[in-house]
Amino acid sequence: MASSTSSKCAQPTAPPPQIPQVRTRIVVQPSKGFIRLDLRPVWQYRELLYFLVWRDIKVRYKQTAIGAAWAICQPLLTMMIFAVIFGRFAKIPSDNVPYPIFAFAGLLPWMYFSQSISRSGMSIVSDANLIRKIYFPRLIIPASAVVAPLVDFALSFLILLVMMAWYRVTPNWAITTLPLFMCLAVCAALGVSFWLSALNVRYRDVGHAIPFLAQFWMYASPIVYPVSLIPQHWRFLYSVNPMVAVVEGFRWGLLAKESPEFSVILIGTSMALLLFLSGLVFFKRMERRFADIV
Amino acid sequence: MSELAISAQHLAKQYEIGEAQHNTLRDQITAAAKSILRLSDRKKRQKDKFWALKDVSFDIKKGEMVGIIGHNGAGKSTLLKVLSRITEPTKGRAEINGRVGSLLEVGTGFHFELSGRENVYLYGAILGMTKAEIDRKFDKIVEFSELEQFLDTAVKHYSSGMYVRLAFAVAAHLDPEILLIDEVLSVGDLAFQRKCMNQAQSLRESDATVIVVSHNMFSIKAMCDRVLYLSHGSVLADGPPEEVIPRYEEDILGGKGALDTPRWAQAKLGNDATQRPVTIADMRILDEGKEPRTIFDFGERVRIRIKYEMRQSLRDPNFVVALVRSDGVGCCNYSSDLDGLEIPTTLGAGELEVLLPPLKLVADLYAVHIVVWDGKFQQLYGAQIGGSFHVRHELFSSHFGVYHEPAEWSSQCPDLAKK
Repeated sequence: MASSTSSKCAQPTAPPPQIPQVRTRIVVQPSKGFIRLDLRPVWQYRELLYFLVWRDIKVRYKQTAIGAAWAICQPLLTMMIFAVIFGRFAKIPSDNVPYPIFAFAGLLPWMYFSQSISRSGMSIVSDANLIRKIYFPRLIIPASAVVAPLVDFALSFLILLVMMAWYRVTPNWAITTLPLFMCLAVCAALGVSFWLSALNVRYRDVGHAIPFLAQFWMYASPIVYPVSLIPQHWRFLYSVNPMVAVVEGFRWGLLAKESPEFSVILIGTSMALLLFLSGLVFFKRMERRFADIV
Repeated sequence: MSELAISAQHLAKQYEIGEAQHNTLRDQITAAAKSILRLSDRKKRQKDKFWALKDVSFDIKKGEMVGIIGHNGAGKSTLLKVLSRITEPTKGRAEINGRVGSLLEVGTGFHFELSGRENVYLYGAILGMTKAEIDRKFDKIVEFSELEQFLDTAVKHYSSGMYVRLAFAVAAHLDPEILLIDEVLSVGDLAFQRKCMNQAQSLRESDATVIVVSHNMFSIKAMCDRVLYLSHGSVLADGPPEEVIPRYEEDILGGKGALDTPRWAQAKLGNDATQRPVTIADMRILDEGKEPRTIFDFGERVRIRIKYEMRQSLRDPNFVVALVRSDGVGCCNYSSDLDGLEIPTTLGAGELEVLLPPLKLVADLYAVHIVVWDGKFQQLYGAQIGGSFHVRHELFSSHFGVYHEPAEWSSQCPDLAKK
């Protein structure tokens, strides 16, 4: 790796000597107290992030019969089941939009989020040999678990466009806000990933709990039902789930229904940022012991 | 100061034994409840810590090749891990000037489902190379590994030898300013091992700073200008290989000062060598020209000088020099009685010298055991382990058995052209 910046691992206690020729200088010492969030090494190792994502995607589809088509089948089949059970039998309202596309618009960001947290939960532990023998900023591992499902998301998005054409749903200008809501989803996914992956190294039952967590979270988000189903006095608490803001934003952008309440978006965004920052700090604190306990 | 590649100052690393046990939250809660009710648990837990590194300090200049030796568990790998930033030191600090490449294990990160080509890129990236760098070096890497035709097969179909060769080929083209290697100097079959050693030699010519951890004294002697001897987390010795390696060998053979008794003889003779009929006071390993040496080439003659003390008048004393290989295999014996030497039976100090025939032993480390029997091998008068020496041979290591000598071959088939 070509690094031309001087990088320090932790707070230096002595003034650095002047070494004009040398381009890289590292101080290895025990990190004390609050971690300074130095994200420069993560940028320096961005190529490794690319390779790990590439590896995960390639490996997932090697020796499969239908390969990348799984990225399309999964949300489609889920949507069909939801459409039958929740749409037709349970007759859950869908905000004046055909239920299948209502569900699919919510499923899309949801599947991205749930895949991210499922993969990242086990990510550090499954790459334990890398952690024990190679140096790189450990943040790269949950980060790669959060970036990889974006590819699946992109593929399913194409299907969504096809469905929108089929149902003759035309979006309005709000579709331009979609990237922002996607960023919100990524931010929330990263935050939860940092927490889960770091906790799982120390407490392996976290990894076992993730499927349950994902299921619970799905029902706590307006995927199969609209937000209007939630009574008004519960709305505030309900919006603490950042995926509420994401899904509402997606439905607004894609299906041209009315905009979500501003408070929902505000709470969701703050929560996502809180998850992200707290996850980052927690991860950096736990990072010191990874190689010793993984 | 500007020429220092690594400056380690009082590095220390503490591990908690049993820490790697993966607690579940349930265990953690029950343990907390237990410790509230019973204080004894907390005391027990405090004892389970140990220091893998204790106050290690050294300075390494740019371009130096340093070897790190020591028994298993001495802290060598831990030191490399700390310098590689894989784990944090508990105390102390180290300053590292230069791009670091760490080779603690060959092939970490290889994924079996991916092809050889894909793994070259993946492993290269894991080691710290950029994609551009790998593109540039790709052909050289493939050439080194000799696996051109298998590049597009999944690595899970490779033999273990092929796998390791590909990994090593990538690692060999890592071009860092500081290289940290943990016991992976050469892998694969002999021909490939020679390639690896050549690559290692070319490191000497470059101005890279190299730290090598190894149990292979050959490689250390061949490559390093300086050796650090680590024991139980501390640096016992730091200097040129000729000085430090004998200290290490002395320690592992247990021959500090008084020459130790081999285990098989302890029952018969007891532990105290000075109470026996014959005590070996000193033993030197010399070459034919009577110069002290520890490395011999295949075919050279070793001279062993023994100073002994005879306390009882012995009937037919027979001094036997036995060469025991590093894995405990006894390889050969030379007997003074069978070779026709009459040992004077006067009491007190005496001196013997034996010039061994040209060495036919394969390349390895051999300890010299001196055993004194009577002429019929029925009475044991003394047994002690002396120093050790290396035999060097280009091809034959202990994989090939115990010894090698040329034989006479002839071919019967008239059609074959005589070579």
